[in-house]
Order: sequence, then C-alpha cells, then structure tokens
Amino acid sequence: MLQDYLFPETISEAVSFLQNNEGQARIIAGGTDLLLDIPEGKVKTNCLVDINRISELKKITMEDGVIYIGAAVTHNQVAGSELIQEKAAALACAASCVGSHQVRNSATVAGNVCNAQPAADTAVALVALGATVEIATPDGTQYALVEKTYAGVGKSTIDSTCQLVTRVSFPAARKNQGTAFVRLHQRNALALPMLNVAVMVELAGGRFKWARICMAPVGPGPMRALSAEQALKDAEITPEVIEKASRAVLEHANPRNSALRGSKEYRTSVLPVLVRRALEQAVANAGGTCN
Amino acid sequence: MNLKILKFTLNGEPIEITVSPDDMLVDVLRDKLELTGTKKGCGKGECGACTVIINGEAVNSCLVPAMKTMGANVETIEGIGSPEKFHPVQEAFMDLGAIQCGFCTPGMIMSAKALLDKTTSPTSKEIKRSLSGNICRCTGYVKIEEAVQAAAEKMREKQ
Amino acid sequence: MKEYKVIGQSVRRLDAVEKATGTAGFTSDMKLPGMLYGKVLRSPHPHARIVGIDTSEAEKLPGVKAVATYKNTPRELFNTSATMTFTVPPMLPVLDQYIFDNVVRYVGDEVAAVAATSEKIAEAALGLIKVEYELLPAVYDPKEALTPGAPVIHESEKKNIPGEIIQIPYGDVDKGFTESDIIIEKEFKLPVQKQAQMETQAAVAQVGLDGKITVWSTTQTPHPTKMILSKVFSIPESKIRVLNPPYIGGGFGVRIGCSAKAEPIAVALSMLAKKPVKVVYSRKEDFIASDTRHGGYVSVKLGAKKDGAFHAMYLKATLNGGAYCSFSVETPGVLGCMGLAVYRVPNQLYYGHSVYTNTTPAGAMRGFGNPQAMYAIESVVDMMAEKLGMDPLKLRLKNIMQVGDPWVLPYRCGSTGLAECIEKGAKSIGWENRGKLNKPGARKLRGIGMGVGTHVSNAWPFCGDYDNAYITVQQDGSVHLASGVPDMGTGTSTSLPQLVAEVVGVGLDQVSMTFADTASTPFDIGSHASRTLYAAGTAVVEAARDVRKQVLEYAADLFKVAPERLVLQDGVISAASQDAGAVGDNCSGAPVCKIGGVEKKSITLKELAYDAHLRNKQFIGVGRIVPDNAPPWHAHFAEVEVDTELCQVRVLKVAAVHDVGKAIHPVICEGQIEGGVLQGIGYALSEEIKYDEKGRQLENSFHKYMLLTADDVPEIEAMLVESNDPTGPFGAKGVGECGLVPTAPAIVNAIYDATGIRFYEIPVTEEKIFKALKEHVK
Ligand code: FES
Ligand code: FES
Repeated sequence: MLQDYLFPETISEAVSFLQNNEGQARIIAGGTDLLLDIPEGKVKTNCLVDINRISELKKITMEDGVIYIGAAVTHNQVAGSELIQEKAAALACAASCVGSHQVRNSATVAGNVCNAQPAADTAVALVALGATVEIATPDGTQYALVEKTYAGVGKSTIDSTCQLVTRVSFPAARKNQGTAFVRLHQRNALALPMLNVAVMVELAGGRFKWARICMAPVGPGPMRALSAEQALKDAEITPEVIEKASRAVLEHANPRNSALRGSKEYRTSVLPVLVRRALEQAVANAGGTCN
Repeated sequence: MNLKILKFTLNGEPIEITVSPDDMLVDVLRDKLELTGTKKGCGKGECGACTVIINGEAVNSCLVPAMKTMGANVETIEGIGSPEKFHPVQEAFMDLGAIQCGFCTPGMIMSAKALLDKTTSPTSKEIKRSLSGNICRCTGYVKIEEAVQAAAEKMREKQ
Repeated sequence: MKEYKVIGQSVRRLDAVEKATGTAGFTSDMKLPGMLYGKVLRSPHPHARIVGIDTSEAEKLPGVKAVATYKNTPRELFNTSATMTFTVPPMLPVLDQYIFDNVVRYVGDEVAAVAATSEKIAEAALGLIKVEYELLPAVYDPKEALTPGAPVIHESEKKNIPGEIIQIPYGDVDKGFTESDIIIEKEFKLPVQKQAQMETQAAVAQVGLDGKITVWSTTQTPHPTKMILSKVFSIPESKIRVLNPPYIGGGFGVRIGCSAKAEPIAVALSMLAKKPVKVVYSRKEDFIASDTRHGGYVSVKLGAKKDGAFHAMYLKATLNGGAYCSFSVETPGVLGCMGLAVYRVPNQLYYGHSVYTNTTPAGAMRGFGNPQAMYAIESVVDMMAEKLGMDPLKLRLKNIMQVGDPWVLPYRCGSTGLAECIEKGAKSIGWENRGKLNKPGARKLRGIGMGVGTHVSNAWPFCGDYDNAYITVQQDGSVHLASGVPDMGTGTSTSLPQLVAEVVGVGLDQVSMTFADTASTPFDIGSHASRTLYAAGTAVVEAARDVRKQVLEYAADLFKVAPERLVLQDGVISAASQDAGAVGDNCSGAPVCKIGGVEKKSITLKELAYDAHLRNKQFIGVGRIVPDNAPPWHAHFAEVEVDTELCQVRVLKVAAVHDVGKAIHPVICEGQIEGGVLQGIGYALSEEIKYDEKGRQLENSFHKYMLLTADDVPEIEAMLVESNDPTGPFGAKGVGECGLVPTAPAIVNAIYDATGIRFYEIPVTEEKIFKALKEHVK
C-alpha cells in the first residue's frame, strides 16, 4: 500500500530517500508502466520517489560528441529533439513509436530501459547506438552498457529500490555514420511491436566500416546480431551483402510463439526483411547508397 | 493511510486538496472535485478518454498519480471554453459532426487543444499521431480530423 | 422536388454543446446520496459447478454493505437481451440464465457481487470470497459443440442449440442447382468481434422503501429493459423506471436489453443494501463478460447460368452463440434473410442456427448477422465472376434486386438506389484501373475490390416492432417531443426534433425532446436495428401531424376558415398563400383572426397556444404506429496494398456509397457510415477475440484488441444516394448498421485482386497472409 510520495530536489536526495525506505521505495519518472504494475501486485512499494523536480535530469545535452538524455526526459521530448533526430535518428524514431501520444508525454526513455521489457523500442535503439546508462547508487556513480542491464525478461540489473538511473548517453552519429529503426506492428499506435530492429552503421568509401544491429523481441532482452555485424565488417555496400547479412541475423534470434503478436515461424521469416530495410535506411542516413 | 495535501492549478484556479499517494488524478478530478467531463474508458492508459493537459502536454490522467501534479498547471475540458466563449476546437467539433456518442469527446478535444497550442498549422499526419491515443469507436475519425484542421485554421486567422 | 426547411440540413447537433463541454450526463458519471459501489466476482473457469461459496469474510470487511450470490438473489430464468420481451409466438424466447447460478459457463461468468462504500473496498471484498469449483468439460468451437458426446452446456438443451433452427426455403433449390451451369461452394470462418463502445456497461439502481425502483443505465432499450427487470424481480412494470441519464457512450448492439448484467446486479445489490448502488464494468469485464458479435461458420453454394444469371443459392450458418442465449435465434435469422435479399435468385434455401459453447455470450452487434452473410456471399460472387469471365461489377448489376421484385421478405422491396451506389463507388475508386495497378516483380501489390449489401430499417419481422411518440405544444408555443428511444450517439435527439420542426412548421430552436425514459415517454423498443429514425421517426411524424392538425383546427375557428386553408410555417399561422387576396369570409382579402380584440392576418403559435391555454386547452399530438420495413442499400469499394514481404495489408481507400432513402441530417449519415467503415476494416483485417486452451479471452483490453486508431484511418469517402422510400419518414431508411455490412468482402476481394489469394477466414492477419503466401508459392 502506498504511504508516501516524495519529491527529491537532487540526485543524492533521491538516492537517500530510496535508502531510508529500505527497499520499499520506487523511483517514478513517467510512471506509465509502474502504475499498471502496482495495482496488479507485480510491484510492491510503499513510497514513490518522483524525480521530475531534479532539473539536471530533465535535459538533453551534447558534450564532446556524446549525447546525454536525462532520466526524466520523455519519449516525446526525445522524438521531437532536433539534436536526436539529426544525430540519432533511430532513437527519435523508436521514441515516436511507443504507446500513444499521451503515453509518450509521460513515459521516459530511461524508464523504458529500467523496466527491461524485451521489446522496449527505445532500449533496442539505444543498444544499436552503443549507449551507456549512468547509475547513482549509495556507493557512488556506476556505468553500464544498456545491453548489459538485462537480467532476464522484465528483469534489470539496475535495482530501482536503491539505485537511480540518472542519464543515458551515446556517441552522436558522425559524418559517414547512420542509424535507423524499423518496427513491425499490427497498428500504428497503442501496439507493442511484433518485431523491432535498430541499426547503426559507419561507412567508408563504398564499404561498411562496421555495423551494430539490435533486434527484439527475439530473446530475453534486445539482442545483437553479432554474426551479421561480422559479415558487414569492411564489406562492400551491395544489395547482396545486405541481403546475406540480413539472413545471418537469425543465428541470434529466437522469437517465441505469441498468440497475440505472431508465430515464431512468421517472425523468423520477416525478421530479415526488417533488418534489410533498416540497413538500407541506415546507409541512406549515413549518406551512402546501396546501388 | 497517509494523506497528503496537494496543491496545483486547475483550469486557472488554485486548488488545495487532500489526497492519498495512490489516488490517480482521474479519480481525484471525477470523484473528489466532481469534474466528470474527464472520462474513464479503461483506467490503463489505453483509450485516452481521461486526457487532460498538464503543463502544456496531453497525458492520460488515469496513469498520473494525483501527487505528481503538485505545483503543476492542469487543464480539463471544463476549463477550456463555455457557451459564452467556446474554444475553437469545441466549436469545430460541434459544427463538423465530430461528435457522436460524446464519450471520447472531452479527451479528444483536450488532445487536439494540446496540439494546436503548439502549432496552428499541423499536418494531417501530426493530427493523426496526436490523436492516436484517443480511441473513438463511433466516428471513424474522419470528421474529427476535419474539425481539428478547421479549428487550426480559425486559430491561424486570429493570430 | 419539395423544399424542406429543417430536414436535409446538417444543423449543429442538439447534444453538441453538452458533449463538447463535458457536461453531458452519462451513467458512469452519476453519484447519488449514500450511493454504494458494486463489483462483480467472475469465474476463472470456462465451465464449472460451484460446490462451495463462503462470503463471510467479505461481509466482515468494513464498508461492505451487501454480498449477492445465487443463494440470496431471485431464481428467475431470464435473457439479458430484449428478445425476452418481444419474441412473437409461435417462437418463444430462450430463457437460460439467472443473475447468479451455481454453474458457471464461461470465463467471466458472474459468481457473486459486492456493494461497498468505495470501489476499492468492493474490489478488496471480492478477494475474500471463497469459492470451490468442480471443473466440468468445456467446448469452444460451435462445430465441436454439435458433435455427439460434446459437453452439454444447458441441461435443457441437450443438443447445444439455443431456440429454433431457422430455415428459409424459396423456390426449388435442388432443381435450381441441377439447372445451373456453374456452381461454386465454399465455407467461410468468422471471428468474434467486439463492439468496444467507449462507455463500458453501467447501471445505477435505487430501490425506494416504497418498492419503486429507478435504474439509470447504458441500455439501448429502456422500455424493454424495464420489462426484463419486472420479470426477474417480480415487480410490476409500473413501479420500475429505467432511463438513460440521458446519454450513452456508444452501443453498437451491446446493450439491447440489459447492459450485460449491470442492471440486474445493481438492482439486486440495492435491494440487499437498501441504498443506491452503482455498477460500472471495468474495460476487461466489458471485453470478456458482455455480448460479442457471433463468430462461426457460413457456407455459400451459388449456382449461375452461363450468361451470369444467378439461379440457385444455398446459404448455411453455424454460429457461435457462447454460453448463454442473447440474440442467438434472431442473428442467424437476419443473416439468412439479408443474405437472400440482395440478389434475384429464383431458387434459394437458408439453414442456420447458433450453438452454445463455453465462451462469452454472443449477441447483437452492428449489422446483426449481415456482415457475416455478406463476407461469404460477396466473396463467392467474385469467384463466380472470375469463373464466368465477367467483370464482378457487371455481374452484380445484372443480378441485384429491383423495386417490386419478389423476395423472401414479408415486405416489399419498395426502393433501391444500389445501381447508383455501385456506379458512384466505382468512379470514386477508379474501378477501371483494376488489374492494372502492379508492375511485374513488385513486392507491394495493390488491388481493388467491391462488395454490396442491404439491411433492414427496423426489427420486424425478426421480432415485434411498434412505436409511439407524443408531442405537446407548450403554453408559450414551443414544442416538446417525448419519445422512448435513446440516443447512443447516432443523433436521434437531433434528427427526431428535425422531423417535428419540419412537420409542425416551427424552427428547430423551438423544439426540445425528452427521450429514453420509461416514466416520461411512451413505449418504444429502443435504438437498434437501424430503426430509430425510420420507426421512431414514423411515430414522431404521426404525432407531429396530429398536433399540427389540432393547432390548425383551433386556428381555423379564430380565422373562421376551413383548417385546410391555413398554413403553419416558421411558427406563424396564416392563410395558405393561394388564399392571399382571395375572397375571405370577411370579404376583405386574406382571412384574419381576432385575438385579444385585435384583428390580424397572421398569428404566432405562441399567441395561439396561450390563447388556447386561457381557454383550458393544450395541443397534444399522439403518434402510434406499427412500422413497415424498407431496404437500405450499399456498395463499398476498397483499394489495398499488400506488403508481400511483411505479409501485411494496408487499406488505402474505401469508397462507401449508401442509399439512405432520404438524408434527414446528411452529416450524421456520413458519420454513421465512416464509423461503420472503420469497424468493417477492423472486422476484415485485425479485430478478433481468440481463446486459449483454458477458455480465456486473449484479447481483453484496448491494447490487445486491434481496433483501428486515428493513425490507421485510410481515406474514407462516404457518399449518399437518396432513393426516397415510399414507407419511411420523408423517404428515409435505416443507416446505422449499414456502414460495415459490405466492407470486409470489399477488402478481401481487393486482396485477391492484388495477390491472387482468396481468404476464407477473417480477419486477414499477418499470420494468415504469411501461411497463404507460403502455400501460394508452393
Ligand atoms: S481511461 Fe485513461 S487512457 Fe483510458
Ligand atoms: S463519439 Fe463515441 S467514441 Fe467517439
């Protein structure tokens, strides 16, 4: 039963509020997932710690080629940010696909990561961007790759009863780098993805220098398509190469049968199409062409 | 239960009210403040009937703990216009057939107002996206989009 | 053509201001002094016997005022749908459920209910009720439920068939097939669609100490609901008042009769607690425990002559009725009749019925069996066209029903604008481009398809249908209409006053309407069957004529002329224009009347009404009618794009052309069509409730149930055709349900045009396209 609702003004105050409540308190930023989980008994908490008053958590900034997104920044703020649209198109696109307009006005990107749902759109994009989360803990600041924060379906290595994600960061796309996000869904709003794919590529002289491909829900969390990435390394940018790499993603994909969102067979069959389309877009985004 | 004093601005008026930390804004509006214009169609953020504007942004009030609005500026359907002076969105909804059963209407109008507060020349896609969290089972959305366009035009003229 | 003053105008709806400002009254907004909140405990099992139920802990919870179970509530069998009140002998209504029973028959079935001082307490109390179940075998598919040895769901119906089997023979079908040159026979599988109206089922019941009961609710049929409650609780109908407050957040058929069980449960709890009780279904309850559209199977066997003339048709339906009978007899009836009424086929047979299964009861949903019929029939018509090597549009034009043609229905086909609908729709979609839209090798394929259909304009002959209205001229000359029919969003509370204003001859601003209240309006069977404007409207027109006649008769006395020589227009009574200057009774030009000692050439209704009042008289017009029936017609054309790689269909455009007879309020007509089309697209492509192996509804929320959002709307062009039916008010026919009757086949035919793949099961989801494409390549 909720007994208290607190407004820390600083990060350290937020962390100490968590500590004082000895594992019973929870951080609330957007709350769009948390407030569904509490009545269903999936989350037990007696106190909510609202981080929306901590001004440094409300900003999107860029410093030395690295973009920082504060933990209280909403999906719509990310989707609407010119900086993100330009330097991390995949993330802007992913953020604009979540839930509905109203949900995106509340829900935060950091919250999307903390909630650790396997198909979280922005988390998938963040993994492709090579993003890191900054975590305030009673023992000081820690860092983790977004990719490494998944500890199983719906489970995060971030302990939100005593730790606070303060911001998410990733290098801004440079010239010759491009990103893209594609999503397969049954309708354009209010739908979880049947599949989503985010990629980031760097091109050099008609070749891929490297590529990062992330996809979901094909495993417990966003999954990297490592062998496809390997196949693209230093490879020429041709439809054949892209096609081959797109098929190679299946090595790392194990979608489940879902009565609501498509069979394993179907999702397996269309995943390479999505990867191909994402790669083509990312190449274009990087200023390249695939003939 | 630990009751809290919540202060915020509601439709331009300061409000002070006692709430429980687990009260949702929609219930405080409807039950405690008796502002039943804000509807509840699902209670889970899936229909938009409960849409209100908080600090300029349209949100589902069924997913907002009332406490979260501490110090905030909250607008509901009751606050945006009246027969003396309707909001252009209300006017357009009434005149262009955008209202049928009317249950989605307050939330729909609030979403549209939030959009037009930001831009008075929205594209069709922007309108569709901004309203995509507001389910309307009656109209097929055609006349709703037309009404938002018409209201935008009115607001542009006034600028 | 006659010029009308009020009808045909898309005036601002009379409910617009209240709805646009959030002040319109809905049941879920109501609060009464001392009101309690009711919550329902629902079965987690698809079929089980309750062997023990212990409510003692729940009763002890502070704030709990009543707990209702099968032990302390009436044991009167009933039917939540209005069929209970107007099934006409020799047919008998199927009565197969109690408010609560000791057997539960689907996941979501009512087990108990609690009334408490808050929703939270009521909810908590549900968790304290201990129920012991003995599980029984369950069955979910209607065909399986018909097999010998299948679980019996109601002991009274060993064969699992609720009520009558509908058989409609016409001509000699066997002979017809023998004489046919080409025969196509196919079976189609249909999904369970949900109305998903925005306001969930809700009721507030107040039981007075004098024994009178008032129920505010979301019902589409206050008068029949009053009759149902009277039977269930054995209380005279005169002591029960049922009303809408006055608005309903949509309906689409989901509450023709009770709003699921919201009314009886609220009344039962209110009787136990002696306080007003409000019951509002959660969205999940609405999804799993209130009527759905009937899913199931429809098969069509169509025979044609070489020249394309249809010669024989056999239509068969096996529908999934769910655990209790709602409209499970009438729906297969309408399915058959509408299916047989579109084309001139000299030899026909229909055989159809519903089947009990352990799923959510199926009842009325917009279209009422007709979309099920037309998906199947219009698919087969396209297949026939292909076999004949004919343009499917021309094949339809050759065979569609014409005015006066004999058909299976007991009323006349008195009007049709279907040919015009087809012509307009074809133009809008660019029918001539059909088959020329794709470049070889394209991965995204486009296609065009069409479908047509008809419908009813009221509920007869599928059940009784009559209507009443009365109109009073107030003492200041303004006009009040009382009609029992609700306005669930379809615009009744605007279009009926429009009829009054037109007929009486006053401005619309002078007319107001009380509706949907059994205490202050005469009997009406409710808002459904696309009947409101047609049937209730016919009663309203009659009442309006009556009141106008009384007014003119009274005025005639004052003018000292025959009433026929007077006109009432814009609220002013004067001599008919051809009379002006003619020899009047006073020999000095136009007739004059003397009122208040002054002579006038005209007199306002205001003056007249007050004069009448001073002379102890009010004008009261009464309309009491038994409606005829009339066929609305419609043609839909769809253009789609199929992404053959992702196996997804996108609808690019729907042109929906509807013969509405006469559009009393064109914008309301268009709105009905556009909303219907969107539901039709959902029916074709994405909307469905499926069950898991434990009988649980998989799609039980807006998030999981794939109706379309604002961001999914294709271009929809709604167009009206006016054929002026001889029976409807000013020529009007039904509209409300028609918008989704031919949408699904238009889309499925367009998918075929795009891909060469025909889908015998809807919705055409990604999964189905994926499987079909794989088969197709083989
Ligand atoms: S009631 Fe809040 S989104 Fe449905
Ligand atoms: S008008 Fe009824 S849901 Fe929108």
